[in-house]
Amino acid sequence: MNKPLIRSTSYRGINTTVAFVGVVLFFSVFTPNHLFLDSRNLSSIARLAPDLGVVTLGIGMLLIAREFDLSISSIIPICAFIFALLLEAGMYPLAAFFVTLPVGAAMGFLNGVIVVKTGLPSFIITLSTMMFWRGVLFGASRMMPRAIRRYFPANSLLNNAMTMSVGPIPIQILWLLFFTVILGLLLHKHKFGNWIYAVGSNQDAARAMGVNVALVKIVLYTLVGTLCAFAAIMQATRLGSFSATQGARYELQAIAAVVVGGASLRGGVGSIGGILLGLLIVKSLENGLILMRVPVFGVEAFIGIAVILFVILNEYLNRRTE
Amino acid sequence: MSEELLRIEKVGKRFGKITALQEVNLTFNKAEVVGLVGDNGAGKSTLIKIISGYHTADSGSLYWEGKKVRFRLPKHARNMGIETVYQEQALAPDLTIARNVFMGREPSNALGIMQEKLMEEESMKVLRGLGLRIKSPDQLVKKLSGGQRQGVAIARALYFDAKMVILDEPTIALSVKEVREVLEFVNQLKQKGIAVIFITHNLHHIFSVADRLVVLANGEVMTDVRTENSSVEDMSDIIVKSTLGALV
Repeated sequence: MNKPLIRSTSYRGINTTVAFVGVVLFFSVFTPNHLFLDSRNLSSIARLAPDLGVVTLGIGMLLIAREFDLSISSIIPICAFIFALLLEAGMYPLAAFFVTLPVGAAMGFLNGVIVVKTGLPSFIITLSTMMFWRGVLFGASRMMPRAIRRYFPANSLLNNAMTMSVGPIPIQILWLLFFTVILGLLLHKHKFGNWIYAVGSNQDAARAMGVNVALVKIVLYTLVGTLCAFAAIMQATRLGSFSATQGARYELQAIAAVVVGGASLRGGVGSIGGILLGLLIVKSLENGLILMRVPVFGVEAFIGIAVILFVILNEYLNRRTE
Repeated sequence: MSEELLRIEKVGKRFGKITALQEVNLTFNKAEVVGLVGDNGAGKSTLIKIISGYHTADSGSLYWEGKKVRFRLPKHARNMGIETVYQEQALAPDLTIARNVFMGREPSNALGIMQEKLMEEESMKVLRGLGLRIKSPDQLVKKLSGGQRQGVAIARALYFDAKMVILDEPTIALSVKEVREVLEFVNQLKQKGIAVIFITHNLHHIFSVADRLVVLANGEVMTDVRTENSSVEDMSDIIVKSTLGALV
């Protein structure tokens, strides 16, 4: 492993890695018949986790710049809805994909512009846009699901790109890894990544040093919107339908995953590897607990406890190393 | 005698009904350390904000190396070689030293990928040039002492070929040992031919490094003397009397 990679996962990254290994080991041993390690189970995680995962990467980068986006849980179903409408209107699936991406980007861009222009906390701004878009969606779709499977036959290009398996590996996890690598390069190697950390760590210093703070934030919101559109299409294609509840509660699950991955709500801290591991930890907990026959509705209680424990641990380690 | 770098002629600045500066005349020379002292509200920060381009003067002119200049943005002043180091605004504590030194001006290839090796080597080089001992350019700034942080902020100014460095209260809230470090940085800047404007409340700090002392009060230059022709007692007397004078 080269030096920068170690640095980008730093001490917080190490404890996230340890936690991930711990969670995997725990469930490997304690799930009935070691079901957690069963290839069908692993492949199910690899197929389902990337829906949230792709968006979580963007939310993590936004949090490093010390901003929130709660509106993702509305942007995702709106993008899925528009994708479904385009298919119904007879658009070629791949074309519908490329039209839906900028729709998500535009919604993210709008968030960014409002946050930057008003200077108000993004928590409130994106809470408002979440409610606004949700209202628009529920009104427009009347909350009725729409079957779209017939528009992309089993071997069509879009269906393959979003749902096939490469050997034993579901393509969804490969997409997640692809975005992790690309965004990791941006965050840790590109000068734009340095601006993201600078803005999150000390906005005044960044501005004084000539970093365009508004640009950094708007680009990140636009990125999150684009990732939402991608996740929406990936999910709708897998499900073969649009549902108005797609992406529900992603806004908080994403933050939970990012925080478990070692990012700080105070900005300036976090890494792409940590964000990915944080997501995998949360998703493994969910999966493993269900396999251990914890009632489905009780799983969230454990995840809540896990998030608190991680935050305490991170704060403790942070203070000790300062 | 010494070579003129920046000359300020009859510079005035008002904020509404308040006169922050009135007809200030000052000259700053190359490789000269000037201590700028005065009470709160004396006009120190207005003056340096005009020099560093954050404010524009209402009247009067600035001459940089003999040529008349007008700084409408901090960028303009920085392009001329004037770097301002603010205590709190300067650094991002969660970033490494190297990334702080190059913040906003990261050397990168055509794709924007940073040249990290270069950043690390160059930042170590300037820090060493300042006499600052740092284990690694990889260290996070939040783990440095207050004195070391000042060093990193000054190193940044130095790397980008500053001809004049303005230090805004660089010794505030520092321990005695850290103050000594910062004063040593100032000496190093002078050695390299860089002009320094050192703003402080503490006359003792400035006496050991400044070539000249300028006292501002009520937006006017009360005195402008060479350090060897003055003493801490004289200076504090001037500051107290000029401030009181305004009250009476």
